[in-house]
Amino acid sequence: MATASETSVVPTHNESATKWWTRFLDPSERTLAVLLLAPAALLLALIIVYPVCRLVWTSFQNLSLTSGVPAEFAGLENYRLMLDDPVFWETTWNTVLITLITVPGALFVGLAMALMANLPFKTKWPVRLSLLIPWALPLSFAGLIFAWFFHSEYGVVNDVLRRLGFEGVIWFNSANWAFAAICLTIIWKTSSFMALIILAGLQTIPRSLYEAAEVDGAGRMRQFFEITLPLLKPAIVVALIFRTITALQTFDIPFTMTRGGPGTSTATLAMYIHQNTVDFLDLGYGSALAVVMFALSMCVTAVYLRMIRAKG
Amino acid sequence: MSLPKTLTWLLAGAALSLTASAAMAQQTNLRVFVSSQHRPDVWRKAFDMYEAKNPNVKVTIETGGNTSEAQAQYLNTVMTAKDTSLDVMILDVIRPAQYAAAGWTVPFNDVLGNNAEAAMKQYLPAYAEANTVDGKVVALPAFADAMFLYYRKDLLEKHGVKPPTTWDELTAAAKKVMDAEKDPNLQGLSFQGKAIEGAVCTFLLPYWSMGKNLVSNGKLSFDKDAAVKSFKLWKDFVDQGVAKKNIAEVATDDTRKEFQAGNVLFAVNWSYAWGQFQGGESAVKDKVGVVKLPAVAGGQPASCLGGWEWGVSAYSNNKTEAQKFVQYLSSPETSEFMAINAALLPAFADKYTDPDVTKAVPWFAEAKPVVETAKARPVTPRYNEVSEIIRTSVNAVLAGTTTPEQAADQMEGRLRRVLR
Repeated sequence: MATASETSVVPTHNESATKWWTRFLDPSERTLAVLLLAPAALLLALIIVYPVCRLVWTSFQNLSLTSGVPAEFAGLENYRLMLDDPVFWETTWNTVLITLITVPGALFVGLAMALMANLPFKTKWPVRLSLLIPWALPLSFAGLIFAWFFHSEYGVVNDVLRRLGFEGVIWFNSANWAFAAICLTIIWKTSSFMALIILAGLQTIPRSLYEAAEVDGAGRMRQFFEITLPLLKPAIVVALIFRTITALQTFDIPFTMTRGGPGTSTATLAMYIHQNTVDFLDLGYGSALAVVMFALSMCVTAVYLRMIRAKG
Repeated sequence: MSLPKTLTWLLAGAALSLTASAAMAQQTNLRVFVSSQHRPDVWRKAFDMYEAKNPNVKVTIETGGNTSEAQAQYLNTVMTAKDTSLDVMILDVIRPAQYAAAGWTVPFNDVLGNNAEAAMKQYLPAYAEANTVDGKVVALPAFADAMFLYYRKDLLEKHGVKPPTTWDELTAAAKKVMDAEKDPNLQGLSFQGKAIEGAVCTFLLPYWSMGKNLVSNGKLSFDKDAAVKSFKLWKDFVDQGVAKKNIAEVATDDTRKEFQAGNVLFAVNWSYAWGQFQGGESAVKDKVGVVKLPAVAGGQPASCLGGWEWGVSAYSNNKTEAQKFVQYLSSPETSEFMAINAALLPAFADKYTDPDVTKAVPWFAEAKPVVETAKARPVTPRYNEVSEIIRTSVNAVLAGTTTPEQAADQMEGRLRRVLR
């Protein structure tokens, strides 16, 4: 009995001793994970969670730096104003339209570029380099360069058109042409990013699959639709997620090319947010607009994530 | 080395570095933002003269953006960040009220003493008013401005046409000269159709000429009929081939450059253009005439009040020195210097007839009544929004994306939201 009680007592004592030490020297995996993640989580909270919360809070306020009046709580007033603001609807529609045109556009062009880059060239660097250059160019530079390309008097696009016997187009003097010029520029700028991700995907497809298909007598087209495309799907979905989110935030290219003109016909939601906060200094309304854009991006991301999960 | 000797050296060294830092402390560095379109090169000379008289002050110039909005965007960013690096900034006449409301500028009342009102009386009344908000002097005038009609003296004389006094006469004159010259590069009229600050004046010129006001007593007094007519007037210039098809892409300095290259018969522009038209690189040197802008048929001629003001940043570390410097910049002497060397209109009535000034810029004597009767754009802290609504509407009409009627409707709706 005595020994039994002794043996039962000693381990308990030892256990509590280990518990005391675990906290410092030998933490359980869970505590370790928390400890290791804490700095990153804290940083994220500081640079993402806090600003987002602050943004949402500001969107419920009447806060305009030009009014000379201190901020006051306004409830949903900013959101109510948004509903009958024609420019909000126009810029939102423009943003959606740009997304609907340039995301598939960049996907097709990017896919074609990736397939070309994957061809067995002897010297690979010229192809790879031409893939990288548009991607490495800052967005606003691309916008400024293309604004010159599409300039009605000095632009190379009209020059080529005139040499081919067409009449030049005054690109930025018409809502439709200006929109087309912007979409073309965005597709040029972003398809190389799509191509890079798709190229990485292409290179993971084993050669043996194509050899087997050839033995079975499958043609080039058949190989593409039965092997290449299905195996590329994960890469394509990832590329689409990134591209769609950046498309919803389109700012630099229309800002540098047209400043939203003629009128407000090529202005995007991001530009309208910038205008309300930086130009009009109406931080309350600008924040409300930004919350809407944030919600829009979250919705799209959620849809894509669901798509991946359904496939995975 | 003995200990006392080392100590002496140490003390001497310490004393030397102390005096050096004292001298450094007396040196004030002022950083000044100047709009790139208003001859920063000539302002630099004015700054140099101040430095010569005040050896303890060093002035650095900062410039950027080529339009009023681009500059406002930059300054808005600097000011919202409470950046201390800028001490003095030049502001478009529409902005001192906004900057004062935001608390971004330091009032001059302390340095002007008890008689701030008397001090402001030396300027043209429009500028005393634009720089005073609730009895506080929030900025001091840099120079005055108004819009004028520039014309090619040589071409009008050649074809026996007088400078027009109404817009209809201008159309007829332009057509006559263009038909006779048969030069495909010659534009009849150039004005600002791009969605920039200048386009606000484009809209207001005929609107005011019809005797209408946009804002009275802080309330919107929109006359839709006059607005439609104003849009139509400009659009007709494009449709009749008097103005070029892509006028919706033309900003203030484009008008200046194209006229200077000899491709424009009539141009609506500010006073600064004169200096460049008469410069060495100009194709139209000594071929340029200036008159007041035409009126609508049966209306009064109207011009848009321009001009720029010097403000001292509320976040500056050298506010007192900066204010002293601005007082110099806003003095009659500097005004005269800038009138002679950069063709910037003085904010002082008597400088327009000063013999030295009229020798350099003969037409300034006639410019005085234009400046004195020029109308100010609506004064409201939410001016940026008002401006944006007007200029995008003008731009859309000229590009043909909306009709004058639709534009006037939309404009009224949007203005009501802002000036409610």
